[in-house]
Amino acid sequence: MIWINGVLVSHGKGGVYGERILTGERVWDPYRSKLSALYYKGSGIELSKEMRVLYLGAAHGTTVSHVSDYVEVIYAVESAPHPMLDLLEVARRRENIVPIMADAARPEIYAPVLESVDLIYQDVAQPDQVTIALRNSIFLKPGGTLILMLKTRSVDVRQDPEKVLSDAKSALAAAGMVITGYIWLEPYHRDHAAVICVNEITGQHP
Amino acid sequence: MMQSYWFGDLKDGSCRPFTGNAAAIADRLSAIRIGSENYVPLDWRSAVDCGICRDRSEYLQKLRNACILFAERRIEEEFKKNDVVLLQMVRTLDEMDTVINLLTGRVFDWYQVTGPGFSRKYRRIPPQTFIKTISSGSGGSLSQIAADIGRISRTRTSLAREVSDIAGEIMPNCSALIGGLVAARLMYHAGGLSHLARLPGSAIQVLGARTALFSHLREKTPSPKHGIIFQHRRIHNAPVERRGKVARVLAAKLAIAARLDYYRGIPVPEFLEAAQKRIDAAGTAP
Repeated sequence: MIWINGVLVSHGKGGVYGERILTGERVWDPYRSKLSALYYKGSGIELSKEMRVLYLGAAHGTTVSHVSDYVEVIYAVESAPHPMLDLLEVARRRENIVPIMADAARPEIYAPVLESVDLIYQDVAQPDQVTIALRNSIFLKPGGTLILMLKTRSVDVRQDPEKVLSDAKSALAAAGMVITGYIWLEPYHRDHAAVICVNEITGQHP
Repeated sequence: MMQSYWFGDLKDGSCRPFTGNAAAIADRLSAIRIGSENYVPLDWRSAVDCGICRDRSEYLQKLRNACILFAERRIEEEFKKNDVVLLQMVRTLDEMDTVINLLTGRVFDWYQVTGPGFSRKYRRIPPQTFIKTISSGSGGSLSQIAADIGRISRTRTSLAREVSDIAGEIMPNCSALIGGLVAARLMYHAGGLSHLARLPGSAIQVLGARTALFSHLREKTPSPKHGIIFQHRRIHNAPVERRGKVARVLAAKLAIAARLDYYRGIPVPEFLEAAQKRIDAAGTAP
């Protein structure tokens, strides 16, 4: 990752959403992007030019644009029409974004366009976030990483966020994912936890 | 076992390429599905073997073009649904109410400072009349703002009429039970007609009473009896001790009405007549 004096940046054409530019690089604000917050917390995984990424819950394409600066290709899934308009605008100008208008909970619909990926990043406001992540794990290469941004308030507002996190972790582990880390995104985002897992199931895909 | 991908069908190592432009591929995307049990992630190199593209960058370029086109079409379809415009109109209407109230309060305070000793107590002046007095009287920015409030209020009135008319067209049964404006607000809070049609009556009853509902779930405060449907005269005119009952019956009938609106789209007189009778009965003592 590229840091300039403790500020996370990405290298690409600026002006996507009015982001600040620091010595020619695009500033990646941790208060706007949960993935950026994860890097500020010191727990993000290194992105590289060979990586293929599946991004679930792409929304307006803000974080997507930064990830696209770092990786080879990013498949950005979003189901709502309004954010999709913005995402398309970003995708038209950035050649490594493949926008997919579909519900992340139904991977069978976009499976025909997707290949195996090195990283799945999920940021969706749904109660069944873990189920969605596991359904999409069929796209994850053996040894690939899943970053689940757990919006605990979307899972259950009445439940204690700590409990939601521990339930999510055990559900992921039960499905064969190896949890390598988890972290709360305070002070950047409230009641959001990042769970990082590795797909240890080998030999399933040729 | 045949697998269909965007660029063609693969079976036992042989490939039937799908030749067509981006538009044809976008059509294909809405048709093909893959069961996740026997899913084999696609390898982009099979597209090269298929003769669809020469290299990785051409593969991605073709795929990307088709996906963008596919998304554009889906958005167009979504925006064509006639409840989408209504949703925006209701939102704007409610936002205008907030703005009008805020500005009116502000202008009153301001006016009081310019003419101390003025009080609204014991005067019973309706806000509109008062706004008119300020706009013609005091001069300067203050009267201009007052005039602006008057204009926004008139626009609000005509927008409300329009909302009511459109709601009467696309949700005839709900509108007949509760009036176009409230019906449209219900739809807005549910997130669209299709969502409203899938809600149970008990949820429709408390739509718009989110704070009260969650405080009930959390702190065990009394449950809300009604949300937006309170705005209808049938409920706020009902005697306090019967309001809960009327709200419950009305909401149950609205749930049925919403389904009729969504799936049939035409008024159903026999349902409406029975429903009105039942709701009226709930409002009178047993």
